Amino acid sequence: MDKLYEIIEKLTSVPGVSGFEHAAFAAVREFLASTEIFDEIYTTPVSSICALMRCGKKNAPLVMCDAHLDTVGFLVTEICEGGFLRVAPVGGIAPKILQASVVNIYGKRTITGVFGSKPPHLQAPGEAEKKTEISDLFIDTGTSVERLKEIIRVGTPVGFRGKTEKLLGTRVVGTYLDDRLCAAATIRALMMLDKKQLGCDVAFSFSAREETGNAAATVAFGLEPDMAIVSDVTNAFVPGAHKSREGVKVGNGVDICYSPMTSRRLTDLAVKTAKENGVKYQLSASPGRTGTNTEGISSARGAIPSVLFSIPLKNMHTASEICDLKDVYETARLISLFIKETEAR
Amino acid sequence: MDIRLLKKYCDILGPSGMEDEVREAIIADIKDSGCEYSVDPAGNLLVFKKGRKRRDKTVLFAAHMDEVGFMVKHIDEDGYLWFGSVGGVDRRVVSGRRVAFCRSGVTGVIASKAIHMQTNEERGKCEPITDMNIDIGAANREEALQSVNVGDCAVFAPDFEPFGEGLVRSKALDDRFGCAVLVDMINGDPEYDTHFAFNTCEEVGCVGASQTVFNTRPDVAVIIESTTAGDVLGTPKTQCACEVGGGAVISFMDGATLYNKKAVAYAVETAEKNGIKWQYKNVIAGGNEARSYQRGAAGAKVIAVSAPARYIHTASDVLHTGDIDAVERLAFALNERSFENV
Repeated sequence: MDKLYEIIEKLTSVPGVSGFEHAAFAAVREFLASTEIFDEIYTTPVSSICALMRCGKKNAPLVMCDAHLDTVGFLVTEICEGGFLRVAPVGGIAPKILQASVVNIYGKRTITGVFGSKPPHLQAPGEAEKKTEISDLFIDTGTSVERLKEIIRVGTPVGFRGKTEKLLGTRVVGTYLDDRLCAAATIRALMMLDKKQLGCDVAFSFSAREETGNAAATVAFGLEPDMAIVSDVTNAFVPGAHKSREGVKVGNGVDICYSPMTSRRLTDLAVKTAKENGVKYQLSASPGRTGTNTEGISSARGAIPSVLFSIPLKNMHTASEICDLKDVYETARLISLFIKETEAR
Repeated sequence: MDIRLLKKYCDILGPSGMEDEVREAIIADIKDSGCEYSVDPAGNLLVFKKGRKRRDKTVLFAAHMDEVGFMVKHIDEDGYLWFGSVGGVDRRVVSGRRVAFCRSGVTGVIASKAIHMQTNEERGKCEPITDMNIDIGAANREEALQSVNVGDCAVFAPDFEPFGEGLVRSKALDDRFGCAVLVDMINGDPEYDTHFAFNTCEEVGCVGASQTVFNTRPDVAVIIESTTAGDVLGTPKTQCACEVGGGAVISFMDGATLYNKKAVAYAVETAEKNGIKWQYKNVIAGGNEARSYQRGAAGAKVIAVSAPARYIHTASDVLHTGDIDAVERLAFALNERSFENV
């Protein structure tokens, strides 16, 4: 698990606001190469990163393992007098977590911003209880407009800032855990495999634009895999959440998801694999299209049988997402065992 | 001011009632200056520095050591901590922030319902602080109790840094910057005998100052504080109160104190004479320890010299180093004077 934490720390230190994944290319490619498990690493036209692990056998089937590279964030929409910025959200972000939070503004160089808050003396009574829209808020850069315009422009991406650190026990808090956690789990899973012993090739797809629309389908089209293992984070139960979410808890292991988008045969097999190997798992059901890359991948090239493994996460889409390293580790184990089990047969 | 001193003080965890570590750090920095100091039963640090001369009036410079924070009220079966705020904290600057617990140093996250779990009606709204919880990663109540108990306090996690062009960003700049100014004065070579007070519990109602005024009986109290700057996007000039980068703020009236006219004029004159950039606070709102000095014991004449601060009482107070220097220069310049006729 120490190795896993190292990978998470590494991957969460790299920005990649949806649509600006290329900001992560150099660091991620360098990291993937340093693992020495991949035979080929390339980027796709839609900014996904692909890493291939070949077993060396002719006409070997291919398993695609997907996690998404992009993160939620903001785009600068206006540079205002006094060095303030208006922004629009990229992905779903609750306005209530923003005021007084610190952000990175990824201009020609990265500068710090603070989401401003309204001074108390300017607030009407009861104002705190009213709705806030992100368009009502602003980011303070502490920098003059003239200087600012040399560094950023309308369209510059903005991301959360918050270091990855350990909480009690095996819990971890960080920014961009969605979905770098699953990338870490997948890379860790592939490290557990001896590719020479495998009967299939494996492609790690670190895909772009999940938060804004499922571009992983284009990776799947290019790879033409025989099956796909998609991993993403899922909202864990927290106080105040709906009763139906009580079954998905941080610390209770990898979440195996049943849904119309996933293959029931493969999902059953994943549950069986978990059971037989003592992998700690929990079940969840997503009766719609899952809100993950499974939707796009499972319909690419006609259809690709897919499974969805999720890591329970608290405070999703904030600068302080919380997970349990044990759940990430169990996810890695299940991915690795499941690849061995199926070999894409 | 040495920015390293400011960072050191800001990074200390010290909410109201738990100022011990701040006080220890200050004592360590002043003990070799030849001053006399004592700590009263409430934890206020009182310092006397002998000058080259005596003046007829007892003059006190004051700052407060405490910061806003959070106190644990209940730990539930799942290990979540339910809490209340220590001092005035806007509910909308709390959710999603990281906090650090005093003494144990445990990190926590203030959580509220995720966007995916909010109903349409709830979206965009911020629940009251009493409906939020602190997550320290405990799997259950037992694990939480090994690190934290009811009554323990947390503050916004420290991460002081320079910001923008000449600004600094941190928790607790209110009023650790004031503490740093006083420390520089004590370590300086004052013209006159001077009293200093580093008070506790300002954020819960200027409690420390109301104790200090009795113990020190000043004729004049000069409060070194930070004050809300409303100079942010969309605020009309008349409503700004003061502007970051506009210099030291002199108050003639705020939400708690009507300052003595002569004393205010004395401060303005001192700033002008010394070419120190200054501004009036032009909105009657907020308040500081001046109210306790003006009303406590037999009453003191009060002056407030403040640094304008954006986003006060948040994890990201923003101050201008130029303003901090202006406040410090004005404090030094005032202390060069006798306060005769004030």
